[in-house]
Amino acid sequence: MEKILAKEKLRDWVASLQGCEVHGPAFADAVWNYAKAEGDIDLRHTNTVGSVKAFAFPQREVFFRFEHKRGERPSLVPTLPEPRPTVVFGVRPCDGRGMPRNDTVFSKEFKDPYYWARRDKLILVGLACIEPHSPNCFCQAAGGSPCSEEGLDILMTDLGDRYHVRGVTAKGIEVMERGRDAFKEASGGDQAAVAKAHEAACKEPQRTFGDLVAIPDAIRRNFEAPLWDEMARHCIGCGICTFLCPTCHCFDINDEVSSPGKGERVRTWDNCQFPDFTLHTSGHNPRDNLGMRLRQRVSHKFLYFVENHQTQQCTGCGRCISECPVGIDIAAVLERVSQS
Amino acid sequence: MMDNIYLPKIGRIAGIEEETQGGRAIKTFKVEFPDGDGFEHACGQCAMLSIFGRGESMISIASSPLVKDYKQFSIMRMGRVTTAFHEARIGDLIGIRGPYGNQFPLDDWKGRDLVFIGGGVGLAPIWPVIQTAVARREEFGKITVFYGARTSRDIMYKADFERLKGSADVQLSVDAPEAGWPAYVGFVPANLMDKAPSPDNAIAVTCGPPIMIKFVIQNLGQLGFADEQIYTTIENKMKCGVGKCGRCNVGKDYVCVKGPVYSWAELKSLPQEY
Repeated sequence: MEKILAKEKLRDWVASLQGCEVHGPAFADAVWNYAKAEGDIDLRHTNTVGSVKAFAFPQREVFFRFEHKRGERPSLVPTLPEPRPTVVFGVRPCDGRGMPRNDTVFSKEFKDPYYWARRDKLILVGLACIEPHSPNCFCQAAGGSPCSEEGLDILMTDLGDRYHVRGVTAKGIEVMERGRDAFKEASGGDQAAVAKAHEAACKEPQRTFGDLVAIPDAIRRNFEAPLWDEMARHCIGCGICTFLCPTCHCFDINDEVSSPGKGERVRTWDNCQFPDFTLHTSGHNPRDNLGMRLRQRVSHKFLYFVENHQTQQCTGCGRCISECPVGIDIAAVLERVSQS
Repeated sequence: MMDNIYLPKIGRIAGIEEETQGGRAIKTFKVEFPDGDGFEHACGQCAMLSIFGRGESMISIASSPLVKDYKQFSIMRMGRVTTAFHEARIGDLIGIRGPYGNQFPLDDWKGRDLVFIGGGVGLAPIWPVIQTAVARREEFGKITVFYGARTSRDIMYKADFERLKGSADVQLSVDAPEAGWPAYVGFVPANLMDKAPSPDNAIAVTCGPPIMIKFVIQNLGQLGFADEQIYTTIENKMKCGVGKCGRCNVGKDYVCVKGPVYSWAELKSLPQEY
């Protein structure tokens, strides 16, 4: 399904989504982030600082509440979320491409009921990047494109005074049909304009790091090389790279106790750059230095995930580069690995 | 509806055996399923045990799959959860989910000699395969069990070892000389070289501290064991048990799913992150 939406009609489309929770980019505290949409949605954003993964995989998720007095039977109350359909506007194609990768992680071998309770209700409305939203983007080097539909339910393209809106999945088409009065048919001229805009978008300069297909071998070749230590030396282990990443999914599980015998078992995001992430209780640590931990982050995305799932686990959003407080740059790491 | 993979079943501590005392005390727990919802397991698999309010820990199932009434876990007092277990009493109710991981391919080893090499609490992960091999004694050739601890007081399963002597060649060791110690004095890898089991038609299975495993594997190679004849079990830190939380990986493998049991031939091809 292909339609045209005049920019002033976006509000009408959003209004048609009653019963859904609608989120869109909002500029607050000097950054763009997703927020619940009230009325209009501002789609002039670069990229949101937080990625769209949090809609299916929130930073903190309660698995169950427990109450246990010694000698009595523990009471366990699962807290599976039951969200309303949730429509997220303004999803950049890099974040869209992240979601099928997360779907794989939360499906393979064991399906994760908490992730899927949210994910099944999620409808992602993408917005093509007519121009790069950051100097650190590299979606094309990572195998994607600024107008990729992968993982999105709808792809919107800004044509100046109007949006071109393409329904990609059945879920997406349903959401478009709910707002059908807001749309016009796309003319041949509109289609030509979209094709031209996408073509131009793909020609915008981006970061590069050599041949994506050759990266797994380059990592294997350099696995024991000193370059990891050299490039990780200034890492402070803050973890921002993985928290903002649209595909990083590592987590911790802990019991949070509110009063004796009472509390919640909680999943929270965790981070392979933390020194205690792999620390055994004996004191032995399989990844006990910064170089090994940087190598793990890069290898997980560009080697191990490729070996297991035949695709990279990085979509080139560039957040980990832009937000790193000490300037660790995954594209530069990959470039150096490629050339070593 | 999807199974809730994070919701534990209820287990009841039906027995507690004090194996060793002191700063590195080990207790063995028998866990029953009062709701009748117990699970079958295979040799080498683990389960996620929890004490509500203290947290979860992945622990090897130390009993043989042939034992159906309960599961046995040997736990060294180390951190928050294991300490909570050491404070537990018979009758206490705990959380248990699993079983997780792969298994020792015992059925492929029929007709072969089996050499087990354990150190410290690292005996627990290979104990079910020892117990099962002994229970199916006639299916295998010579069975030898090497086990070493720091001192004689640190030896676990003492009573079981006495029984085991009828079916297997038991070779115990302690790290340092002790008055009255009748067996070998020295580290486990050295005891292995001293007894020099034959690699002919044999399988070696080892678990213990990482440094012990390293030298045991080196020495097995010197004795002529091929990489395919050597098995170990990789006990990396785990949180989810279901291949998602990301910390137990060795290269592309999540040990909680693809491991913990590996042949040395398989493990050699992975990065040394265990």
